[in-house]
Amino acid sequence: MSVAATRDSRMEKWYRWLLALYPRDHRREHAEEMVGVLLAADGDARVRAPKPVAWALRFGQHTADSADLVGGALRIRGRIALNRLRRMHWLSWTVRDERWSDALAVVSVVAPLLLLVAALTEFRIPQAVASSITGHPHWGLTATLGLADLPMAAGAPGVTLLVFLRLRRLAGLGALATATGQVAAGAVPALAGYADPAVAFTVLLSGTAAVALLLSPGPDRGLALLTRSGTALVGAAALILGGFSVGGDVWFGARPTRFDDFGGKVAGLPADLLIAVVLVGAAAACLRASVSRRVLVLLAIPVIPYAFLWQEKLAVDLFGEPGAGSAIIPSSIPLLYLPPLLLASLVLFGTWLARRRAGERDRQVGSATSGPGSPVRA
Amino acid sequence: MQEPTFLILTALAAGAQHGYGIMNDVARISDGRVRLRAGTLYAALDRLKADGLVTGDKEEIVDGRLRRYYRITDEGTAELAAEVGRLRANAAVAASRLGLAGGTA
Repeated sequence: MSVAATRDSRMEKWYRWLLALYPRDHRREHAEEMVGVLLAADGDARVRAPKPVAWALRFGQHTADSADLVGGALRIRGRIALNRLRRMHWLSWTVRDERWSDALAVVSVVAPLLLLVAALTEFRIPQAVASSITGHPHWGLTATLGLADLPMAAGAPGVTLLVFLRLRRLAGLGALATATGQVAAGAVPALAGYADPAVAFTVLLSGTAAVALLLSPGPDRGLALLTRSGTALVGAAALILGGFSVGGDVWFGARPTRFDDFGGKVAGLPADLLIAVVLVGAAAACLRASVSRRVLVLLAIPVIPYAFLWQEKLAVDLFGEPGAGSAIIPSSIPLLYLPPLLLASLVLFGTWLARRRAGERDRQVGSATSGPGSPVRA
Repeated sequence: MQEPTFLILTALAAGAQHGYGIMNDVARISDGRVRLRAGTLYAALDRLKADGLVTGDKEEIVDGRLRRYYRITDEGTAELAAEVGRLRANAAVAASRLGLAGGTA
């Protein structure tokens, strides 16, 4: 009797040790009855046979039960993990901070708009329209469409259309595809193509649009914040400035300079100064509200390479040739991409940190109000 | 529906049982062919509870050990009945093709 009891307690210890593999909740609820079942099954297996045979059979039974116990733990844990994965709704991740969420919503309207204007400007459409209106002979539509132009040509209107159709997740994926397409198409001719600030601008702009469309409540919320007239203002301003920035001499008759690609025919100094005043004024107006401040930070990500473009244009304005003045900082891949990506990482890290702190605060408040010894699941 | 699940629901269809009782009942129903062990049994019960086919019944202390009873729910009964219908239909087709007696019961 005592021998059996000792064996039982040893087996119980062994089974309890194996039960540690089970999830805590399951253990709390079922460990006792499972041990009972295991010991009862073992007790039933006592065979009336010669001792070695009986021992071998019981050992086999015991091993099979242990292996089955491990298998059960794996099955239960596997199902829990699968359920958690299924419930994740990958494309429904959102930024939980309200002001950043609102800022992203505004950017999800503005960034696709700017992307469309950038594409139109790249293919000289506003300039051609301006030329036909003023009768200036300079501007025609871009005749040649290379492989590198395809992502923007297809992506920018496509994303705008999807946003208009309120398919924001598809639009976000489309923007992501546009960014990736530009990166891939740029790699085809030569890596040096990436050092072009214009390419960096559109790549980062499509990337920002993608993130904003996927992680924010969407253009509906953005439009509500920005209002339709605000959006129209932004779009019109971008169009005019885009047209100005490459075709300024159509309006101001400044001294003509040499042609680039996206930089295009560089505007004269007056046009550039006007554009700078407008942009700085708009940025200053944004500083007043906390949401628009965040919009500024987010839009700064694609605009940083644009600043490189700007200083090239200023150099041409002042010295007649880019690079003629030694004051210019030459654009290179690290300078173009690292500051924006650093800014984006800082924003992500900052919001993650804020979310963690808020979660900890909630946990502390919860445990303070619900008493000691009751863990609050955040 | 897998066979162990089917057998567990069949065992519970007769009334509430505790874990060890279900094990013995399943062995009896399957003529000793299917022998459920604790790990498999409780993983299956966990899934059945999550799906709402089985729920906990009463608890009692026997020999100093907790014994929890489980019973089948209405959804579980309906699922089991549906599975019986499916198996019956399949078996009838197989029997008729083999030229065995049986047909639709």
